[in-house]
Amino acid sequence: MSVRRDEAEAATELPASPYDEMLTPRGEVRPHYAALSARLSTLSPDELAERQKTQERFFLLQGITFTVYGAESSTERIIPTDILPRIIPAAEWAKIEKGLTQRLQALNMFLADIYSEQQILMDGVVPRELVLQAPSYRREMQNLYVPHKAYANVCGSDLIRQPSGEFAVLEDNLRVPSGVSYMLANREASKRVFPGTFRGAGVRSIDRYPDLLLATLKSMASDWRPDPQVVVLTPGVYNSAYYEHAYLARLMGAPLVEGRDLVVHDNMVYMRTTTGLRRIDVIYRRVDDDFIDPLTFRRDSSLGAAGLFNAYRAGNVVICNAPGTGVADDKAVYAYVPEIIKYYLGEDAILPNIETFLCREPSQLSHVLANLDKFVVKAVGASGGYGMLVGPHSTKAQQDAFAEALRADPNNYIAQPTIQLSTAPCLVDHAVEPRHVDLRPFILSGEKIVVTPGALTRVALKKGSLVVNSSQGGGSKDTWVLSEPRGER
Amino acid sequence: MMLARVADSLYWIGRYVERAEHMCRLSDVMLNATLDRSEAATQVARIALAAVGDPDAAKAKNPYDAALALALDREDTGSIYSSVARARENARQVRDQITTETWERLNLIYLRMNDAEAAHSFAEGSQQFLHDTIADLHLFKGAGDATMSHGEGWSFLLLGVYLERAQLIGALLEVVFGEDRRRRPISDHFALTNVLRMGCALEPYLRVYTAEIQPRFILQFLTLDEDFPRSIRFCTDQIEQHLSAIIRHAGLAGRVGPDRLAGRLRARLQYADMSDLENEGASAFLKTVLDECSAIHRSLYDAFVAYPLEDRLPA
Repeated sequence: MSVRRDEAEAATELPASPYDEMLTPRGEVRPHYAALSARLSTLSPDELAERQKTQERFFLLQGITFTVYGAESSTERIIPTDILPRIIPAAEWAKIEKGLTQRLQALNMFLADIYSEQQILMDGVVPRELVLQAPSYRREMQNLYVPHKAYANVCGSDLIRQPSGEFAVLEDNLRVPSGVSYMLANREASKRVFPGTFRGAGVRSIDRYPDLLLATLKSMASDWRPDPQVVVLTPGVYNSAYYEHAYLARLMGAPLVEGRDLVVHDNMVYMRTTTGLRRIDVIYRRVDDDFIDPLTFRRDSSLGAAGLFNAYRAGNVVICNAPGTGVADDKAVYAYVPEIIKYYLGEDAILPNIETFLCREPSQLSHVLANLDKFVVKAVGASGGYGMLVGPHSTKAQQDAFAEALRADPNNYIAQPTIQLSTAPCLVDHAVEPRHVDLRPFILSGEKIVVTPGALTRVALKKGSLVVNSSQGGGSKDTWVLSEPRGER
Repeated sequence: MMLARVADSLYWIGRYVERAEHMCRLSDVMLNATLDRSEAATQVARIALAAVGDPDAAKAKNPYDAALALALDREDTGSIYSSVARARENARQVRDQITTETWERLNLIYLRMNDAEAAHSFAEGSQQFLHDTIADLHLFKGAGDATMSHGEGWSFLLLGVYLERAQLIGALLEVVFGEDRRRRPISDHFALTNVLRMGCALEPYLRVYTAEIQPRFILQFLTLDEDFPRSIRFCTDQIEQHLSAIIRHAGLAGRVGPDRLAGRLRARLQYADMSDLENEGASAFLKTVLDECSAIHRSLYDAFVAYPLEDRLPA
């Protein structure tokens, strides 16, 4: 026993060493990975590579692709996927699920508050100007009734596992989070690749996501519209997430509409059908706030419908997620989420935040500037892994450029210590190697909050890289959430 | 009830798929016929090229290059590649409306034609390539038939197929039998047999008329036969049926124009006989058919896709 404790302490003294999802620091296979590890040892590198190819073919045939536009021609590529599942035991998931539910509940209350009484700002818990000056704050949403106060109906939070083994929230995505189709497609694929292991592991099903999404969307419709017409609004076939829009529409049985299919008349929203106009009650929009209504937001947008927002204000249609939810996943507001949870629910956050320095505070700015080589610096408004400095992987010139930008516009930046994301085994060039991963679960909130027992695990396929975004060489893999073991193990 | 844009896309999937299949078949027949070096073989190549709308008769001297360009030229909007790519692009836009089984078939054809190796495969075995493409297009239609609901969307798709087919067969017959062409009537047995092959009609023809291959019978079979699925009469029957189905689904009975046009065209073919065609002249008769097909197409748009909004706003 004492030996083990010593080693555990020794391990914590090495903050740089990432948590390995499969192996303990002593190199033993963790119990929940045992079956997969045993299966892997029976497969030759060529057999693994063959399975990888089968999976890629499946994705290509299904059309699970995104388009890369070049000067001359455009090509369709599949999102890189890895065949080895990432496995999360039941007890760990239980905590994640509780934490995510708590967090989204608090964030919805926060949105309802700042778009009405603004009590939290008056009590000085979150700085007033931080919220009201955020570009994602939508004055147009002020005092607008949102059913169940469910502003963010679909949320995809990014979690990471710290070297200590504890999960923490890196980012909340409350605008139009994507990736859920990859979660479902990866599952289809991994059932084909490792059927035996899958059956034996007791993996929790994620098949109900589409019907739970539909139920969530329907719960947002007015009570006097008993059989609400739900549609999915897509920017169109050229959008990189188009596959997902079509996929969700198909699995929900809801029409997939584009802006040009919509007509607003007398504050009602209709779609053009072969039999004339048909009224719409709920729009699951996969178009950013800025583009949904040229009369209210960006005037040059043709992706939404003119008059849509007024119809929403009039209560004749529901837009999901509500416009203006972005203010709650703003990278600066993020730093206050533990206080927000405490304020509304009187509870401590179950899932911790990553320590965050707000460059708007002069004392924190000087600390960040002095340690640029250790921090990850992010622009508040940017996403997709852009506008970011990863200190330890940066050059002196990049650091200098960021230092200048920080001094010029400190409000626009936050900094976080560089976290070693945990690693999971991945198939890279015929060999199984650890790569850094994060975790994006999907949470639905309408009448109630539902966490799907699964997630998209994003992988930084480049060795040593910490950037998992698909726009920057990231891939994804299936995530197995195990059910509670029956009886004693 | 379905989105007007979706109906439009399904209709065009039908048209492009039918066009791709027809052009594959014409190319295949041309390549096969020109394995013989004869005047009749060149005549077959000329007919095939004229029927796909290429007026450059000189290309008939080099049928392989003509077939290669027809199959894989990405710049040419009339190529088989372009038709397949457009069918698939339309399918992608209505991916939520067609079954996965149907989508996979079409996507597979596209992926093969879009592959960097496509030109190589074509060079290795051009007839095999064309033959496989035709077979896969049949699989696409079969998968759709077996897995998609035969409702409004399906009717729009088949409406596209049969309107396109009527027009393609009409255009082919015009090339072969049109009086305006100022050409000697085609009487060569080899050429006539290949004309039947272009309409995928040789075997069904033999069962009706035996191996007696006569221009008059070919025209009669491809225009007026009741049961052969590529005769113009059969197509007009189907066009009328699918249009009535759509109108029934839409609850628009008696209110729109395309069904009246389709009914008239169907009746024209149903009650015509060879003496009408001969008295009127094949060219004039076929021109009427093609014009009425175009009128149905326009009327379809006015009724279901691009209707004026003012008419449909709630009071």
